[in-house]
Amino acid sequence: MSGTDVFEPKIVAYVCNWCTYLGADLAGTSRLEYPSNVRILRLPCTGRIDFNLLIKAFEMKADAVLISGCHPGDCHYNAGNYHARRRWELFRDLLDLLGFDMRRIHFAWISAAEGRKFQQTISEITEKTRELGPYKVYEGKKVPYPSFPESALPLGDFSTQSELRAAARRLLTEGRVQVVIGYGERGPIFVTKPEDADKLVWNQSCLTNLAAYLKRKEVRALGKAAIVVKGCDERALLVLEQESQIERENLHVIGMACEGLGVAKCAGCAVRQPRFADEVIGQAKPAEAVDHYAALDVLMALQPEERMGFWAEQFDRCVRCYACRQVCPMCYCEQCIVDKNRPQAIETSPTRQGNFAWQIARAFHQAGRCVGCGECTRVCPAGIDLWALNLALERSAENHFGYKAGIESTAEPLIGSYSVKDQAEFIR
Amino acid sequence: MREIINQDELRKGVGEWLAAGKRVAGPKQAAWNRVLYADLETAGELLLDVNQHPVNSIKEFFFPKHQKLYGYEIRGNDVQLTEPAEPVLDQVIIGSRPCDAAALPILDHIFNWDYRDSQYNALRAATTIVTLACTSHDDDCFCTSVGLAPDAERGSDAVLVPFGDGGYEVRYVTDKGKALFAGRTKSSDQKATAHKGPRIKIDTAKVNAFVRDHFDDPFWKDHTLACFGCGMCASNCPTCHCFDIVDEGNVKGGYRARNWDSCQYANFTSHASGHNPRASQPDRQRQRVYHKFYIYPEKFGEVLCTGCGNCSRNCPAGLGILNVTTEISHA
Repeated sequence: MSGTDVFEPKIVAYVCNWCTYLGADLAGTSRLEYPSNVRILRLPCTGRIDFNLLIKAFEMKADAVLISGCHPGDCHYNAGNYHARRRWELFRDLLDLLGFDMRRIHFAWISAAEGRKFQQTISEITEKTRELGPYKVYEGKKVPYPSFPESALPLGDFSTQSELRAAARRLLTEGRVQVVIGYGERGPIFVTKPEDADKLVWNQSCLTNLAAYLKRKEVRALGKAAIVVKGCDERALLVLEQESQIERENLHVIGMACEGLGVAKCAGCAVRQPRFADEVIGQAKPAEAVDHYAALDVLMALQPEERMGFWAEQFDRCVRCYACRQVCPMCYCEQCIVDKNRPQAIETSPTRQGNFAWQIARAFHQAGRCVGCGECTRVCPAGIDLWALNLALERSAENHFGYKAGIESTAEPLIGSYSVKDQAEFIR
Repeated sequence: MREIINQDELRKGVGEWLAAGKRVAGPKQAAWNRVLYADLETAGELLLDVNQHPVNSIKEFFFPKHQKLYGYEIRGNDVQLTEPAEPVLDQVIIGSRPCDAAALPILDHIFNWDYRDSQYNALRAATTIVTLACTSHDDDCFCTSVGLAPDAERGSDAVLVPFGDGGYEVRYVTDKGKALFAGRTKSSDQKATAHKGPRIKIDTAKVNAFVRDHFDDPFWKDHTLACFGCGMCASNCPTCHCFDIVDEGNVKGGYRARNWDSCQYANFTSHASGHNPRASQPDRQRQRVYHKFYIYPEKFGEVLCTGCGNCSRNCPAGLGILNVTTEISHA
């Protein structure tokens, strides 16, 4: 750095080994000059550039980040960049909701022959970042808690409790299942004897998404299970089956028609009547449609630094109890990324930086998978508005890819697949 | 003669303590759906009238969820240690529940038993705890089962017992409490009567005997299989005190910190070999009950529980100490 007061931004570029890295090499051998502000990190493929790395760069005081790889059709591994493109599209919408400065996050396709494009891209990003000044990533602007639209709290009548008990008793008596996973007076219960079927309840407190138990070894050890689901919980079963986590034929699904449990998520519910259950108890009237993205619009109407302030205050309360993860049917990894320490990807301390890293990882691992059961938000002891993170990704999946998790039984998982027709105008 | 204070005077006091640069914490609407003990920014934030038990406990102010122990710098082969730079502010906790304050003498044993924990003790010494006696209880409260009461004084510096008309009788427990209210109270012969509290719900001696004799017992699987392992019971518990030591930093240096940990996490007992002696969630639930009703009492002569009910009130699976030990009482 010279003796003048010119701000020299630090720019981190994650590039693929086969195209952009060679493009950078070509720029060098061609004697093309570009600013020395960029630190190039070479990875095998953009498909393998974990989104955590982008967050990590900002944690380590980067002022801007570039991710760049092969043009569509050019991937050394055939489709890595197509997968990456899908993820970036979703990830950008999450970062935008969180209030990241999107002017500092760049994506590009730069081939091995495009030394000049590499030079130009780096020069432009450096110039632009220098104008923006240093990035203090998690220093948002404090805002009063926004007033989110009030939703109706639909409440059904729960008259089908005796039918549920009869169904459980029958299944256990006939030996068709060894355990019925359902709701008891105080919380989830595992009924293994026909005479205990009367311990099952069907009422307003049946909120837990019981699909979360299907991943647990000690529950699997009980034998073939019947599970009580509402339409919303059933969506989770669809995703779990899509992702080969459950064998549907080994599971007996008791679907409860549900006209609401008196909580916000029930407003505008599109799946009151379970659709794929082995038996459905009751008949539910369809709900009136509501715009459940309206609450997101309230957040998006704030300035990015205000959104960052909103989340900073929320995440500062996080104690890292991981209740959000533990109750989530989609969080079935045997070892969560946050529990890995060789190497450690996410800071485990409940600092602002660590909490952002964790909440981003949790939310993004649900991209295109979250079924909106809302359990993470319900159980959070710190009252963090986790629903908004999930909802932003749900809207992103719907807007960009017309995809909604757990609705179509034959759909390919959004993140596990790609289309050459995916469009992404933000990529240079 | 007794000492009394009205709510306006009390709030005025909070404002003045804040203005004097003290850290003042109490129950407040910290999130739209959660009342938490948290730092007060204004006296108006303090919730005095609600009968809602805060989700968390006051241990955060003595044993923070994340606490820097010391810093380090690495220069070549040399490591330099630096003292934590965070100053200890005078703290006032206002509106603590009796069951939260009563946890502090219990934690004192832990943090002074073999090693005297200077940071914990410094925060204890810098804090004055003003407890608000309860005027009601909910289904999860069971302070009377562990020898406490809605106006228990244990762990407090002063206890405020409401008259029901916005005023409080101020009962001093320590000189620190007396000093805090000096000049703010009036003399009166009005006497406040405390709420009776919940009926006795569990028999701690029976729980102690049961856990001693039922280590390998189907009881644990039968009653605690629903546990999600979220550890929320521990983080919200006024007496749970397990922590993990971590280093946060890079090759040049960083700091060593302690973070809350919980026996409800699978990682808590994972061995480097991959073996885990507490292999399933019921094993971990058993550990929590064991520690509270057998291990700690063996060592310190009292149970590691103040009957606050936080673990049952907030458990996503309907468990928690009250519900599990109630099953034991009936077993």
